[in-house]
Amino acid sequence: MALTQDIIDLLGAGVAHQVGGCTKDGRPSLCRGLAAELESDGRLVVILSAETGFEVINAVRDTGRIALNLTLPENYKSISLLGRDAVVSHGGATFHDLVQDRYQKFRAQLDVHGIPPSYTEAWYLRPDEDLVAIRFTPFSARNQTPGPDAGSALALTPR
Amino acid sequence: MNRRMSDDLTLFGVRRMMEGVIPPTLCTASPDRMPNVSYLSLAEYVDPLHIALSFQFFNRSRENVLATKRAALTLDDPYTGAGVILQLEYLRTETEGPVFERLRAKLMGVASHAGMDQVFHLRGADIYRVLELRRVPGRRELPAAEPRVDLATNSRLLSERLANSGELADLLDTLLDGLGELLRIDNAMLWLFDSAQEVLTLLASRGYEVGGAGAEISTGDGIVGTAVREGVPIRVGHMMNMARYARAARDRADALGFEPVLKSEIPLPGLKEPRSQLAVPLRARGRVLGALLVESKHDQHFGYDDEDALMLLCGQFAVAMSLMQPPEPEPPAREPPKAAAQPPAGAAGPAVQLRRYARDNSVFLDDVYLIRGVAGAILWKLVGEYLRSGRREFSNRELRLAPELRLPDVQDNLEVRLLLLQRRLTEQNAAIQLEKAGRGRMRLNVTRPVAMESD
Repeated sequence: MALTQDIIDLLGAGVAHQVGGCTKDGRPSLCRGLAAELESDGRLVVILSAETGFEVINAVRDTGRIALNLTLPENYKSISLLGRDAVVSHGGATFHDLVQDRYQKFRAQLDVHGIPPSYTEAWYLRPDEDLVAIRFTPFSARNQTPGPDAGSALALTPR
Repeated sequence: MNRRMSDDLTLFGVRRMMEGVIPPTLCTASPDRMPNVSYLSLAEYVDPLHIALSFQFFNRSRENVLATKRAALTLDDPYTGAGVILQLEYLRTETEGPVFERLRAKLMGVASHAGMDQVFHLRGADIYRVLELRRVPGRRELPAAEPRVDLATNSRLLSERLANSGELADLLDTLLDGLGELLRIDNAMLWLFDSAQEVLTLLASRGYEVGGAGAEISTGDGIVGTAVREGVPIRVGHMMNMARYARAARDRADALGFEPVLKSEIPLPGLKEPRSQLAVPLRARGRVLGALLVESKHDQHFGYDDEDALMLLCGQFAVAMSLMQPPEPEPPAREPPKAAAQPPAGAAGPAVQLRRYARDNSVFLDDVYLIRGVAGAILWKLVGEYLRSGRREFSNRELRLAPELRLPDVQDNLEVRLLLLQRRLTEQNAAIQLEKAGRGRMRLNVTRPVAMESD
């Protein structure tokens, strides 16, 4: 399945990223992600810190299953993209510019809410060698905007 | 293999991360290990091993938790950027009791802040056992904000002042003045619980344009009512819609069938747009006597430490208040009864009309609502006695024994009701005033002739 245009647009809109995983023995885990974008082969790549996200990374290596949650602070619009073929690889400096781009956009979102850049930096400023890339093919999308239908399926486009 | 942190964190120590500025994030998984990430409205500290999460909707998270009993939760410190992650085991869902009520009151605050108070509804408080708690590594943490005051030292100073208060009026003023001077809490109201009428009556306030002594709200609404009903503190870090209180007061008056011409509603004090509120019950001798409500124009103004400090101070205040029922003095030599004088000496000018409605002892002075309930009955009795005999001084003992006042029980604090009546008359600058006339006694001062009328 392919992402719809509004989901692709959301990726670059200044969203907060939350990444979830679960080990084979049923231990859920989550961490903040730093950036995500659609790659030319239709897979999503999500960047996270190896130090911060070690548990999620281990869970993804364990099962290949991943949930990437994207939430736009200005309106709480929130979606999750799910994968079951996730692969972990070193990220490094290749993703430096992408992380910076997402960080600047996210910071602008939080500025409006009175959260200072120094606070956002506490989450974002990671050395390049700490960046890890997880690639997966989204097979399902869920609406996670708070409300009674949080968790319900969103349509994706057939590839 | 998972790395384990060796943080010496405690759930108690990370309570302030559950304040809601940055929503808690929950990860659950289906039985086939597909994760689901969602934001929560609220997380609430229960005890050193347990946490409560708001359950509002039957959604994917709910389905997963019921199936697997497992969840992971992250919390972010609203000041430093630090984060913690918790591994949780679902135990049960509570739909009543203090934890549920605390969550519900907070949710009401959050929802009204977002204009969603008619949509958000708390179905339950999900209680989880905390299996693990560790710090999120790799964050560049900021220094914690400077505390507003030295809460422990200044609370102790205020406690000492309260301990030196010998009279109820002094005790009350010491508390409310001390909140501003020592704890930098500039907006406060002290509410009394009337168990017979099931209402809360405002005894005194600080920091508002109107004092509001004698104003009433229903016990069923708002964070004050919840704090009294459940006997627990309620803290909301977001804007609270004070209109709820006004509506509660209005509803109560309507239910009692007041004639529309005579509005019995005393204007409620309160910030127009409070951003933080904390209601703390006044508990003593196994009973809840009322509640202190403090508020601020700033988000997250009151933390758990404020809650702890005010719980201690309000407990001390409540015990002192309940013990200030003075020992009954011997009946003093009464002033010799004077021949009924209309008006008694000292009262001059046009007459004021004191009207009572017997069904709830509400009393109006020149069509302006004054007070009701026991305080209203007391005023009616004192003025009646004054007009009959010219007597101006009365003992608390005779009021306590007066059958027409129907004081609810021996624990009912007559002193508090007299203080409330005294303050209400003072606020109204009424032609009838009440003042203390020694231990266990009071004096009526009437500056104009009075005509009494009852239905």
